[in-house]
Amino acid sequence: MIEGILIGLGTALTPINILFVLTGCLVGTFIGMLPGLGPMSAIALMIPVAASLEPSTGIILMAAVYYGAIFGGSTSSILINAPGVASTVATSFDGYPMAKQGKAGKALAIAAYSSFSGGIISAIFLIIAAPYLAAVSLSFHSSDYFALMVLGLTAVAAFAGKGDVLKALLMTVVGLMLSTVGTDQTQGVPRFTLGMIDLTDGISFLLLVMATFALSEALIAILKPSSDDSREAERKASSNLGSMAISKAEVKEMAPVIGRSSVLGFIIGVLPGAGATIASFLAYGTEQRLAGPEKGKEFGKGSIRGLSAPETANNAAATGSFVPLLTLGIPGSGTTAIMLGALIGYGIQPGPRLYIDEPDVFWSVIVSMWIGNIVLLILNLPLIPYIAKILAIPARFLLPLILFFSLIGVYFVSFNTFDIQLMVLFGFIAVVLRFLDFPMAPMILGFILGGMMEENLRRALLINDDSWSFMWQRPLTLTILVIAVSCLFAPILWGRFQRLRKGADRAGEGG
Amino acid sequence: MIFSKDRIGGTLLLVFCLTYGLLSQNITLLPIQAKAAFTARTMPEVLTVLGIGLSMLVIIFPGSPDRPKLAGFNWGTAALFLVLMSAYGLTVRPIGFIASTSVFLIAGFALLGERSLVKLILVAVPLVVGFWVLMTQGLDVFIEPLPWFLKG
Repeated sequence: MIEGILIGLGTALTPINILFVLTGCLVGTFIGMLPGLGPMSAIALMIPVAASLEPSTGIILMAAVYYGAIFGGSTSSILINAPGVASTVATSFDGYPMAKQGKAGKALAIAAYSSFSGGIISAIFLIIAAPYLAAVSLSFHSSDYFALMVLGLTAVAAFAGKGDVLKALLMTVVGLMLSTVGTDQTQGVPRFTLGMIDLTDGISFLLLVMATFALSEALIAILKPSSDDSREAERKASSNLGSMAISKAEVKEMAPVIGRSSVLGFIIGVLPGAGATIASFLAYGTEQRLAGPEKGKEFGKGSIRGLSAPETANNAAATGSFVPLLTLGIPGSGTTAIMLGALIGYGIQPGPRLYIDEPDVFWSVIVSMWIGNIVLLILNLPLIPYIAKILAIPARFLLPLILFFSLIGVYFVSFNTFDIQLMVLFGFIAVVLRFLDFPMAPMILGFILGGMMEENLRRALLINDDSWSFMWQRPLTLTILVIAVSCLFAPILWGRFQRLRKGADRAGEGG
Repeated sequence: MIFSKDRIGGTLLLVFCLTYGLLSQNITLLPIQAKAAFTARTMPEVLTVLGIGLSMLVIIFPGSPDRPKLAGFNWGTAALFLVLMSAYGLTVRPIGFIASTSVFLIAGFALLGERSLVKLILVAVPLVVGFWVLMTQGLDVFIEPLPWFLKG
């Protein structure tokens, strides 16, 4: 492990990689701060740049952008009550009231220290857990991987929220369908190309991500223009932040919250599909309950604990979500799914072999998490008053620029204008589906896992003489599939159970 | 409730799944694989069944009764942006990066309400030229800057 950390340090601490960590954190903070644009869009916008770099440097850049974007999202949540992403919604519960009380600087500092601590602590957990998990997963067969991918996809749908499970599952299937477009890997026959040569290589992952996130988010912002009042509030919030100092008593209050939320966030992050949003809400709820009746009343009115808990947990979960990606090659979230796509683009297959075959990539990603968090704390926090000025850039200039960077990012990879037209089409479809509240992340996850899933299923069938019996004869495969099915039905059964209990309670009251 | 967001989305995706299923029957199978358990059609056929089943479930059991609200959105501007992006894709090669991108940005800023011609040009043109210099000189990515009739 020590050797690995040294390899990681050796790779991550080269001048060029440090430069890209700095750039990534700064750019990520900028993009994450823009309301509507989250880490997924930020990473998607960076892929064309990362594609021209060495694999380690490219992944380090994207990891830095990821952390920067989460930090940026928290900033806009605190300053203008506009969370860029769902994972920073809980941050705004207490962050924004603090900002309204004239303590925006303090709120930003608490958020930064909490994020930093959550990130650092969970990176230590990652270092301990990842090699063991990678070693175990070396014994996995194709059928186990197929089952794991089914688990990853169903878990994402299962965590989609009340009433959204079916929609998330449907979008996952749509993503899997899109992944089958192009030449079939085994037989070499074209599928769903509609006779178009431009589609023989399939739909570009970058194109789909850019269209469904960056492009559609900018188009939705055009559809829903912000009022002049809110722009004025943004300008005011970004011009006066107040002091960033934190007292000893406040540190004492934050410390146990950070410890608990880091552990909780990391565990939630490791679970496929759960991710930073669930982690932040769970941490917020847990701390509110633990605070007792007196302190619990402060939640929602500018509580330090209420701000620190979700901030710690979402960063810890972001780090935790790298565990299934790096050790099993299965992304646990939309963001890590984009990372997986980028790694595959480099010809690197994440999974247990990554730890052995590409130790420099594996360890440099982990070490870059520490460096990224340190950069965010030392450089970005003092720069926040200046970075926050971006909130004052008029949307009429910002939105066409986001559209331009999205289009040109895809064009620069293929130099094929067909991709721009396809992207506009997908962007339009994404806007319609998002308008109808259909989630995009499960589709991306399905699209990325589709090819691998088909390949592993084909291989499993080949090994088993064309028999599907591997699904119930191999205990590990069966166990994973049973967990996947349970994941899917657990929310439905839980809902039924809750309703039955409520019904019984009401009957008890009535009787 | 009949035209809820979930039902409209479910119906659109049902049409997509049905089309996908029909097209999956056009996938050519090699003669030796006619009896194989896994062919190029297997995955698409399984996905078709899943897709149709799930979209039917979304239509029958919608999670929310919310109906789509169409009022208060800038539909016209968004549609113009789609046309503008498509036009950009068609012109970036023939008229070159600098001219097409400058026109795209100027038109985009103007569509969102910027009326000062000086501002439009002063923001768009230096930004495009600067970006082109950065890409060609800094990152070694060549982009044809000039229209077809001015190429050397």
